Amino acid sequence: MKNTVKEWLENGIVDLFLGYKMSNGHPLPHCFTLEELTDVEQLIVSETRYSLEKIATHLARKDPELKIGLLARDCNQRAINVLTVWHQLDPEKIKTLNVNCCPSPIKPQADCSYLSSQAVPPYKQQVGVDNTLGVETADGFTNQEKNIRWMYEFQKCIKCYGCRNICPVCFCAECTLEHKDLISPGTLPPQIPIFHLVRASHMAGRCVDCGLCEDACPMDIPLRLLYSKVNSIVKDVFDYSTGESSEQPPFSVLGEKVTLSLKPM
Amino acid sequence: MKCTFVPSICSYCGTGCGVLFETIDGKIISTIPMKSHPVSQGKLCIKGWNLHEHINSPMRLKQPMVKTFGRFINTNWDEAIQITADRFKEIIKEHGPDSIGVLVSAKMSNEENYLAQKLARAVIGTNNVDHCARL
Repeated sequence: MKNTVKEWLENGIVDLFLGYKMSNGHPLPHCFTLEELTDVEQLIVSETRYSLEKIATHLARKDPELKIGLLARDCNQRAINVLTVWHQLDPEKIKTLNVNCCPSPIKPQADCSYLSSQAVPPYKQQVGVDNTLGVETADGFTNQEKNIRWMYEFQKCIKCYGCRNICPVCFCAECTLEHKDLISPGTLPPQIPIFHLVRASHMAGRCVDCGLCEDACPMDIPLRLLYSKVNSIVKDVFDYSTGESSEQPPFSVLGEKVTLSLKPM
Repeated sequence: MKCTFVPSICSYCGTGCGVLFETIDGKIISTIPMKSHPVSQGKLCIKGWNLHEHINSPMRLKQPMVKTFGRFINTNWDEAIQITADRFKEIIKEHGPDSIGVLVSAKMSNEENYLAQKLARAVIGTNNVDHCARL
């Protein structure tokens, strides 16, 4: 893998390569360049996940001609697909080096920080929503119970905007969550459940199910579960699989004609 | 184009969350929580998430200012420190060292707070030391 990166940098296939390196005892993202080619020896693959594709969009915004290589797990790859669909990254300028991730029958072994999630405390299990529940199980509660459990989770929110900030597919210049008429500034907790549901609805056809938002949430709100539910509806109703499709999601309202079409029966 | 990731500690409060500054060509672009940091474990509050904004803010004071005849005048560090020392000396001479109090901050590191109390006790000669987190 190190040799591939070196080769890419030497042959000018990529101008820089985003990967990970141990620095001060922490596995941190690092930008490998041709000038510091010997650093490539320290390239590591670990459980650590940062949103490298988000960094790539920052770089691409500064210099659209830049050829960027990056270490990509499956979730990174899905996020890159979404960013490409939304014209935030040029697929010609992005080259990925795929690493082992997300276990499946074909790939039993995986390196992912999300998989080593901590045990859910009993109180949360009793009154809130267990982060590790699947969409079906979480859907199994009665409507009233769902309401109580989710409101318990939402009222913990400290409005850090971490879920939005870390999200690899959140790139809008103007964010609804910062619009003062919709989400009034300076109130804590934020208006619930609107704050979370607005974000959830915007995640429809966008969320790549990477789980970074849940990793970054200081209050342990089961955001991944919420967005999974939203995207399962997108899949059921519009037959659109986020992160795999090469077309924009069915909700793109920009353009001349309405493109919203239902899944064929 | 040069892109670096600089590990640091959030300067907003005494908790000491680990942050990572993403810089492109020497300018801080964004703040990322450091995932493996033992204190914050990859989480930040809204203040930590926006550290880069106050660093890049055009409102930020980049040099010391001295209030002269009711107006703030830009000056350099040497002069500002000299003026402060002179005024302290005057006050101590006139009213005694206990007329001065030192209020330290949770935004500084433990070591800086130690140095500040040392300055108060050994140089100024007062035990009037307090901390903003006790207010």
